[in-house]
Formats: sequence, structure tokens, C-alpha cells
Amino acid sequence: MMHGHRLLLYYLWIAPHAVLAVVAVLLLTRRLYTRFPVFFLYTWNEIVEFVLLFAITVIGHNQGALYARVFLITFVISTALRFGVLQEIFNNVFREHGQVDALARVSLRWTTGLLLAGAVLCAIFASGQTADNLTAGLAWVGRGVAIIQCGLVLFLLLFSRLFGLSLQSYVFGIALGFGILSTVDLANWALHTRELTESMASALDLLPTGGYHVAVLIWLGYLVVPAREILRPSDVRVGDVGQWNQELERFLR
Amino acid sequence: MNGASVYVAIAVVLAALFAYLAARRRREPIAIDKARALMGLLDIEAFRNLVDPGEEAFLRSSLPPDQFRTIQRERAWAALAYVRTLSDIALEFSCFGHAALRSPDPRLVELGRQVAAGAVRLRLDALKASGRLFVAATFPGLPQRCPHSLFDQYERSTDLLLRYSALNRL
Repeated sequence: MMHGHRLLLYYLWIAPHAVLAVVAVLLLTRRLYTRFPVFFLYTWNEIVEFVLLFAITVIGHNQGALYARVFLITFVISTALRFGVLQEIFNNVFREHGQVDALARVSLRWTTGLLLAGAVLCAIFASGQTADNLTAGLAWVGRGVAIIQCGLVLFLLLFSRLFGLSLQSYVFGIALGFGILSTVDLANWALHTRELTESMASALDLLPTGGYHVAVLIWLGYLVVPAREILRPSDVRVGDVGQWNQELERFLR
Repeated sequence: MNGASVYVAIAVVLAALFAYLAARRRREPIAIDKARALMGLLDIEAFRNLVDPGEEAFLRSSLPPDQFRTIQRERAWAALAYVRTLSDIALEFSCFGHAALRSPDPRLVELGRQVAAGAVRLRLDALKASGRLFVAATFPGLPQRCPHSLFDQYERSTDLLLRYSALNRL
């Protein structure tokens, strides 16, 4: 049973990063790094982080302290890059629509402010059930970040939908992947803010890596599967133009 | 239910919402039929009358204040229904314009870009007009402004669609 759990843990740690390497290569070969430099940087940062942490685990020399230090540093970089990616998606989606772009920027600023205030309030008023250690402290921060990122992804998807802005397939994929990742992070960090039994902790170990696996597969899927041809060009019949003319004439009268 | 359970429940709901939004992305090809059908429903002349400041001034001068407010409130609600239809049309135009960006013909791509940009502006104007009309329905005594830009943008968008269809037939 323990062997199976360990095997699954390793699989969910290694496999998403192998898939992420494929995503990084695809971004490179399709020159998408010019449009999404921060996302490109994020993928490589995640791969380097994995290699470092995996190496520390395998080598095993004084691993506890070193692992925690490397994890903390890479966690901060990764969190900053995730915010960068979300900003990058916003810029890509709204920059061609002047007025909506201005509205989106203002709304985004307000949404971020409100989410930040919400995250801080949640941290202040949440009941304190945690042991005073690094994991607990990290969990408070991680939960706040996850709340903000979930809100931003939701705002992006709903706001673009409100104006019928079509997100290109891979842009939608990146946003969706981050959405799923943030929700899993939210659940994971929220559960880490309380005391956990050993069996619960070991089960919970699978949650972030499992969620990460799903997110990476979404990124790969939306990059690999070509966008569908969704316009039907033969819809306009000869009589249609006449009907439209009538509409216009009626309008201009 | 403790704090952690609440967050987990929120996370599950959000994940389901993201999945729903992904599933709801258009699966079927986009056609202009729906926009055309909505255009058929929209009597733009009647809508223009409902928000005409001249008409409003005439009603204000010829009706007692109470009756004017009642009529004006009904006019604002009716206009709001028209704006909603116009907003739906804008959304269809926008989807259509964005879909046209994937056309292999560069002329259709350029026109699609213009249709999409115009539709987004139309949608924005419609949302602004909705807000104003809602205020007008709540406070019928206040003077109303005619949403000229909304009509102009609608005219430009329909013109662009007409050009698109003509180009597509070539």
C-alpha cells in the first residue's frame, strides 16, 4: 500500500514536469515565446525547480534544510511569475480593443485590490488551528495567493465573455490551466492551515501534484489540438444581401 | 463546517465553473443567422423614438407630471428591452468577427477585425446605455440623453457585415 502511494507520488511529481518540458519545447518551436515570454519563462522555471528539488531528494545529503530553502526561493519566483502570466494574458486579450482595454485595466485593478483585501481579511479572521511552523506560515500565504489568482482567472474569462472576445485556443488553455491550478492550490493550502493526521497528510501530498498534472495536460492539449475552423462561409445567400439592404434602408430613413 | 472546508467547497465550485466555461466554448460553427434573426426583431425606428429627447420634451410639456413620469418609466423599460437585443446582436457580431479572423482570405480577415472591433464598441455602448436607461426608469423625472453613439455604431456594424457578405460572395 505504502509502496503504491510512493510510486504514485513519484509519478505525479515527475510526469507533469516531463509534459511541461514538451510544452516548453512547443512554445519554442512555434515561436509563441515572443507573445508569451513570461509563460515561457514560467515553464522553464518550473522545470529547473523540479530538477533542483528532485536532485536534492535523490542525493539526500542534509536534504531537509536545503530542500526547504530551495523550495521557498522557487515558490516565491513561481508565484511572481504566475501573476506575470495572468497580466500577459490580459494584455494579449484586450490590447486590440481600445475602450474595452481601458475598462479592463481599471476593472482589473479594482478586482485585484478587492481580492487582495479579501485574502488579507481571510487570513486575519480565519480560526487559528495551526502549529507554528514554516509549513503553516507558507499555507497562509499560499492560500491568499490562490484566492487572488482564482479571482483573476475568473474575472478574465467572464470579462472576455461579456464582450464576446474570442480567446485564441492556446490563450484560453493557459488561462484555464492556471484556473484549475489555483483552485487546487486553494484547497491544498486551506487544508494545510489545520492540523493533519499522518494518513491525511500523505493523501494530501497527492493533491497539488495531481492538480498540476491536470493543468499541464490542459496546456499541452490546447497547444497541440489545432483550433477548429468555426466560421461557416456559405451562410450568406443571394437573397440575404437584399434583406440586409432593406434593414439598412429602414434604419437610415 | 470549519474554515478549511469552506475553502475546499469554494475551490470545488470554482473548478466546476472553469470546466463549465471550457465546455461552453462554442462547439458548433458560428454563422450570421442568429445575428440576422435578432436584427429582424429589432425595430430600430421605434427604439429611436423611445429615446428621442424631442419626443420626451413634447410629452413633458403636454402631460401632467405624474402621468409623464409613468409614461416615461414605461418608455425607459421598453427602451431597455431594445438595448438588450442590441447588446445580444453586438455579442453575435463580435463572435462572428473573431471567427472571421481565421479565414484564409486576408480581405475577410481584415474585415473580420473591423467587425469584431465595431461589435465590441457596440456592446460597450449598449452596456452604458443600459445603465443610463435603468437610471431613467428609476428616476423618470430626470432628463434623458439620446444614445447617439449607439445608433452610429450599430449602423457601422451592419454596414461592415453587409460588406463582409458581399465580399464573401465573390
